[in-house]
Amino acid sequence: MLDVQNLHVVFGSGRLRVDAVKNVSVGVEPGGSFGLVGESGSGKSTVLRAICGLAPVAGGTIAVDGRPVPTPRDKVFYRTVQMVFQDPYASLHPRHTVDRTLSEPLAIHGEKDADVRILQALREVGLGPSFRFRYPHQLSGGQRQRVAIARALILRPKVLLLDEPTSALDASVQAEILNLLDELRARLGLTYVLVSHDLAVVAHVCDRLLVMRNGETVEETTAAALRRGDAENEYTRALILASQGFLRTRESAPTALSA
Amino acid sequence: MTKPLLEVRDLRVRFHLRTGIVEAVRGVSFSLARERLGIVGESGSGKSQTGRAILGLTPPPGEVTAERLDFDGHDLLRVSKRTLRELRGGRITMVMQDPKYSLNPVMTIGDQIVEAYRAHARATRAEARDKSLAMLEAVRMRDPGRVFALYPHEVSGGMGQRAMIAMMLVTDPDLLIADEPTSALDVTVQMEVLRILDDLVAERGMGLIFISHDLKLVSSFCNRVLVMYAGRVVEEVEAKHLREAQHPYTQGLMRCLPSLTEDARPLPTLQRDPSWAL
Repeated sequence: MLDVQNLHVVFGSGRLRVDAVKNVSVGVEPGGSFGLVGESGSGKSTVLRAICGLAPVAGGTIAVDGRPVPTPRDKVFYRTVQMVFQDPYASLHPRHTVDRTLSEPLAIHGEKDADVRILQALREVGLGPSFRFRYPHQLSGGQRQRVAIARALILRPKVLLLDEPTSALDASVQAEILNLLDELRARLGLTYVLVSHDLAVVAHVCDRLLVMRNGETVEETTAAALRRGDAENEYTRALILASQGFLRTRESAPTALSA
Repeated sequence: MTKPLLEVRDLRVRFHLRTGIVEAVRGVSFSLARERLGIVGESGSGKSQTGRAILGLTPPPGEVTAERLDFDGHDLLRVSKRTLRELRGGRITMVMQDPKYSLNPVMTIGDQIVEAYRAHARATRAEARDKSLAMLEAVRMRDPGRVFALYPHEVSGGMGQRAMIAMMLVTDPDLLIADEPTSALDVTVQMEVLRILDDLVAERGMGLIFISHDLKLVSSFCNRVLVMYAGRVVEEVEAKHLREAQHPYTQGLMRCLPSLTEDARPLPTLQRDPSWAL
């Protein structure tokens, strides 16, 4: 469904040149869920943005559903691939109601029966019709993220790119959103590419993943391997260890919560 | 029992807004010896406001009341502003979340640490500089002399946070309040910074209040944990007994976290009981 080969993303030139993504390849089968894990500056979000045409591609190929993506991306692309951003407080227009936010993609693509589609989209993300005419400031972080997901799904795309969709949310809300994402993927046959710094989140949502560092691929592995603690690369092992909480190496250490 | 370092009894923080009164902290009580206490809660739980109230940093229109707010014999609610200024930054200090926002962007790191030191100790510029360099070394900065002369925007997040810790420990405080000190950092950097904090707190025999939303991290770092919900402490438990926590909110919070070692599908979600907020 998504085939990225040897992607190279460069920002700036000369002294200010930054090679944000170097030779990264990602392949996701239809209905699959692929994770990109890394710390800040790893280039993981840049890979998603490059797929969408939001970052300058200096080399490599990107193909969606067997078709090489055109530059600039066209309507066919946007009907197939949609993105959910990290910050629910920044991704919704503060002066648009939920209804307006959800009608926009429909209007752009000339879709009819906006009324029915909007109510259906809200239902799918667990929001009732009472949310339809609210403004973002009248919604909690979790509710805003649900609206962002509804907006991404309203055109019935095949691929959903998720850029740290739960990092800005409290733990209890995160669990609800992760469950929603699971349920939607199963019901709608979606393909996911999820970016996160949180290994536990990636292991929960994805089957396979790529560990990135400084724009490069460190290791490609599976959620199952992560759960076993199997990692070839030292950096991946460091990430797994760090996800277990603070481990005191001195005496009389309070025991770490090994969840 | 030795006298506690900090004694908090029925702490309340209220904000008087045009739309009504918002009670951010509703009767929090605890005492702190020279130990590590974690305060865990989600957004809106009142954990940060609790930390700020102790230091007298509640922003207006906030109002702080308490039956007792004692630090080492000083009644923090009734001391003079001058005494509070001496205590704050000197004997009680605070490390905040993001060094991008909490360090002064127009002063070099070294100058800021020197300023913090000289505000609380009689020292010549040379003595203060030496003490600051020693502190930068204590937080394991490679090349402290070079970092001394850098501006906050010229260093990474992890270095900025270590600089903040250096600044907050240079006066040898008795109590450090750390409000999400590592949340803005990458996970491998977090561990490095926490290790440094851990060693320094142990070495100096300080008290530490570690405020965070991250239950796993807090329970692995602290001796005791207070769990806050809607402005109240709903549970107080020893870190090593966290698994046996009684309150359904604490249990729910632990269970709803995705983990590498368990694969619960769907993830248990928190069923909020309105009685928790009473």
